[in-house]
Amino acid sequence: MGYAIKSKLLSGTALIAAGFISTAAWSQEATIAFASGELGATSYNPVTSSNLNSATSLIYDRLVEQDADQSYHPHLATSWEEAADGMSWTFHLKDGVTFHDGTAFNAQSVADWIPDFAETENAYLVGAVASVEVIDDLTVKFVMSRPEPNFLYNLSSSFMGVPGAAAYDSLGENFGVTDAVGTGPFKLESFAIGLETVLVRNDDYAWASDLSENQGAAHLERVTFREIPDQSTAFLELKTGGLDVLLGVPTDFLQILKAESNINVIQMPGTGINYMPINVTAAPFDDIKVREATALAINQEAIVSSIYNGVGAPAHNFLISSLPEADVSPELNVSFDVEKANALLDEAGWVKSDGPVRMKDGEALSVKLFTQNGTEFTALAQVIQAQLADIGMEAVITVFDSSTIRDEYKANRHQLAVRGYDWNNSDILDWFFSGERLGYPNVSMWKDEEGQRLNDVAMKDSKNSMERVANFKAYHEYVLSQHLFVPIYEPTTNIAYNAERVNVPDPVRGTRFRAQTVLDMTVVK
Amino acid sequence: MTSITGTAARALAGFGSTSIGRAFGSWLGKIAGGFLVLLLLTAIFAPWITPFDYAAQDLTNGNAPPGWPHLLGTDQFGRDVLSRVIYGARTSLSVSATAIAISITVGMTLGAAAGYIGGMFERAVMTVVDLTWSFPDILIALIFVAIIGPGLTSTTFAIAIAYLAQFTRLTRAQIVRLKRETFIEATVNLGAKPRHILLRHLLPNAITPVIVVGMLAIGDGIVLEATLGFFGLGAQPPTPSWGAMMSSGTAQLFLSPWVIIFPGVVVAVTVIAVNLFGDELIRALDIKDRIRGA
Amino acid sequence: MLLRYTFFRVLMLIPVSIAISVVIFMIVHLLPGDPIDNLIRVGSSPDDRTALIAKYGLDQPLFVQYFRWIGAMFQGDFGEAIVLRRPVADLIAQNLPYSLQLGALAFLFSSIVGITLGTISATTRSAWVEQIVRGFILIGSTVPGFWLALLMILFFAVQLQWFPVSGAKGWQSLVLPVLTIGVGGVALVARVTRVALLDVRKEDFVTLLHAKGLPSRTILTGHLMPHAMLPVVTILALRIGWILGGAVTVEFVFGRPGLGSLLIRALGQRDYPVVQGCLLMLALAVMLGTLIGDVAQAAMDPRVREAKT
Repeated sequence: MGYAIKSKLLSGTALIAAGFISTAAWSQEATIAFASGELGATSYNPVTSSNLNSATSLIYDRLVEQDADQSYHPHLATSWEEAADGMSWTFHLKDGVTFHDGTAFNAQSVADWIPDFAETENAYLVGAVASVEVIDDLTVKFVMSRPEPNFLYNLSSSFMGVPGAAAYDSLGENFGVTDAVGTGPFKLESFAIGLETVLVRNDDYAWASDLSENQGAAHLERVTFREIPDQSTAFLELKTGGLDVLLGVPTDFLQILKAESNINVIQMPGTGINYMPINVTAAPFDDIKVREATALAINQEAIVSSIYNGVGAPAHNFLISSLPEADVSPELNVSFDVEKANALLDEAGWVKSDGPVRMKDGEALSVKLFTQNGTEFTALAQVIQAQLADIGMEAVITVFDSSTIRDEYKANRHQLAVRGYDWNNSDILDWFFSGERLGYPNVSMWKDEEGQRLNDVAMKDSKNSMERVANFKAYHEYVLSQHLFVPIYEPTTNIAYNAERVNVPDPVRGTRFRAQTVLDMTVVK
Repeated sequence: MTSITGTAARALAGFGSTSIGRAFGSWLGKIAGGFLVLLLLTAIFAPWITPFDYAAQDLTNGNAPPGWPHLLGTDQFGRDVLSRVIYGARTSLSVSATAIAISITVGMTLGAAAGYIGGMFERAVMTVVDLTWSFPDILIALIFVAIIGPGLTSTTFAIAIAYLAQFTRLTRAQIVRLKRETFIEATVNLGAKPRHILLRHLLPNAITPVIVVGMLAIGDGIVLEATLGFFGLGAQPPTPSWGAMMSSGTAQLFLSPWVIIFPGVVVAVTVIAVNLFGDELIRALDIKDRIRGA
Repeated sequence: MLLRYTFFRVLMLIPVSIAISVVIFMIVHLLPGDPIDNLIRVGSSPDDRTALIAKYGLDQPLFVQYFRWIGAMFQGDFGEAIVLRRPVADLIAQNLPYSLQLGALAFLFSSIVGITLGTISATTRSAWVEQIVRGFILIGSTVPGFWLALLMILFFAVQLQWFPVSGAKGWQSLVLPVLTIGVGGVALVARVTRVALLDVRKEDFVTLLHAKGLPSRTILTGHLMPHAMLPVVTILALRIGWILGGAVTVEFVFGRPGLGSLLIRALGQRDYPVVQGCLLMLALAVMLGTLIGDVAQAAMDPRVREAKT
């Protein structure tokens, strides 16, 4: 054969070989493991489900998205206006959006969707909506029965991902189980409860929010979400390459993960607080001095550096630091001050005795400390037990499972408890301190006239978001002054990924690891 | 994980059918017995032997490797692992022993009643008891803990229920067999009351195999207590229990493996010793025959 | 005679099942806490809670709730999970295959290895072999399941990379979990086999066979083993409950779904219909196993048949 032909053949073969090799070796797939708190979801129906996981945000889009700084970004809605009196909201929708089944997304889709919430456990999300009006194809108006300054927050929640109306009606009970139709960057391919969810790319996707760099279809062709309940197992999977991304890594694993050369860890600002509520109806905690002493005895910094290996931040009040309502008067923030704690106990009549425990009128300062099972909380409880012992208070620990402990709270058998919450909105104050929710969730058993008044004003009388912030801040400050709890720790959300396999944008946009991040993920070539 | 029925307990009898086997087995059994006595003494005298307070935290010295002064290292709170393993012996042994003791008491009563009275009563009791044995013991324990709440009390009762069946069956089998013996018939004919017959003649014969099987069940009880501790539902912190130490340490496995390895080794060795010693007892007391027929 | 005995036992199943369903219902409602707290979320009002309780009929007296449950079941409706929000039948149907797979294979492993070890230890003349085999038998029952599981993963999956760490994909993911559970079950089977063989060996007919000049191996496989298998089968049948629900710890560590895991999760969330459904399934399986075991025993021993009918 002539040299020219031979070289052409060779180079042709080389090209084909290269093409074959590269497509085979570089499959755009990733495997992500859920955090332990979002395991066991049984359906991807955002309207009726009581718990949803991270994969939901990839199947459905929302009208608006929230970023970590509490700002709201357009997504399916390009812009919006709230009426001055708060009694209506008008949203302008993005053009050209289609559902996975080809039907168009428009104002009618929204009007069809909102009534689906009636009679469900999630109905409160649209509880303030009286009716939905279609102004034109891309404009929809929510007529409210009362002002809801928190409306955007609700709209940005996973539970308000928009489902396709046609499919929703025809699939009925099976919507979100056998099939799920949204407008999201990924479609549901298969779902095995308790095992894994497989999503495939929506090639038509062209309407990402500005939280993603990638404004078109995702780079990944296929994403598999796995459920792995045991943390050690999840870590080992990541280490051996069975997983590409692990969401929600507990802090004790961080050290080992950082030691692995191929694993990177991203830390997102957390959305929760670990704290210790104090039962104000149970002696000795009915005395505010004793409560304050307890609060001052906890050394948040020491806890962060020991149990959490320096990851995350100490908490000094009830709200996460990104919320404006967390910015209270500095003297109300709670910090470690063991001398003052001891002085307060002396003032309250609890004196040091020969033993390690303080006494008053023949009674020892011995209290019950409840917590839930799970290594983090039991560890925390033990450290707190030791720190309380330093001021002469004996705390006896009992570990319960999460359902039983709620019963204990409701039966008012507790004095101190160690727990945490995961919520990034100030209405968490109402949730945990409203006098109408005694026992659980109001573990502090607090019922106070002034507190209830501030609560009602913040929850019901705020006409717009600025007022809402001011009202909740006032409520927050009052709550702090009463020493109903001890703030402990503000966790970060830790995400570990195999840098040899995938690229994950850092910092992660949004409040949680959601669709906006997965859109930007790529597979390493 | 596994339970021993009366039938299986018989299997232990006769290990070492050759004379060399007998001698070797006996020697091993005696070592096992010695280890157990040592363990018992350690558990009893724990407050005097432990070098440190098992609850004393030292957050600045967490996860220290074995060395001086912490011979087995420290856990994540800086507590001495050796002291916690020693106290853990107390927890594990006392919980298991109490549980099995309760199980034996209730089991023997039920078994004796069932065997002696017979008929529908016997049928009913044995059905219920068989059900508790066929149900996975970990599930029984978890349900029990869910109802009563976690802690050593519910752990004890959970273990007691899980192993109830063996003792009931064993006792009943003894009673049924002995009932047919002529000397019992004679006693009945002489006008002795049932209670007298039970207490004076039947139970003493039944008790020895029960005690031996009980010893072996203690081994299983330790393992069940460890599994409950793994789910965080056993001994309450800071009380050390071998199981809880093993589970709290999984995250530490790569940083500080000594926190999990030592309790794990101790559990395994203890249970093996219990089994070997149990064999030795059966042989020494020559009660193979009484264990069969359950 | 055997037929009459079997018939009688099957008939007994009905009242026993009903009694068990009552016990299960009582146990579930004895649990402190309720499922509603797992349903409500931040933002809902306190009235929602009362509304939810009424919606699920949890404010009705217990016997009303019980009859509702049983009544629905007779019509084939196993109810809908309160927290997990799917028909209970669906949830069980999704998880059962994994438990069956794991359980059946582990059962097979325990049986084969256990019978082999038991036979060796019963027939060997060498004391050393006997001690070694005894050691093997002991290993499985002295270590807690989660411990063994973790060690297996560390060695076979992480170090040697022979098998996946967790999950339920392909036959490779079954190996380590099956080994973990199987090893634990070996002890029981081995011991029962051993004693059964030793017992049979002493029978007169065996001496006759030896006198006839039959080789030991033939006696073993042709006569001893078949006789010894019956008590073994009896014991194994009784452990059916274990096969279905006993793998909880292993399922947890290996990240596999299963009936045990479903039960534990539902238990934690107090999802009454699911817990009731799972427990009932397990109880029925256990009773079936007991039935098989009893019938097998009756087939072997005529005295049993007579005593009980």
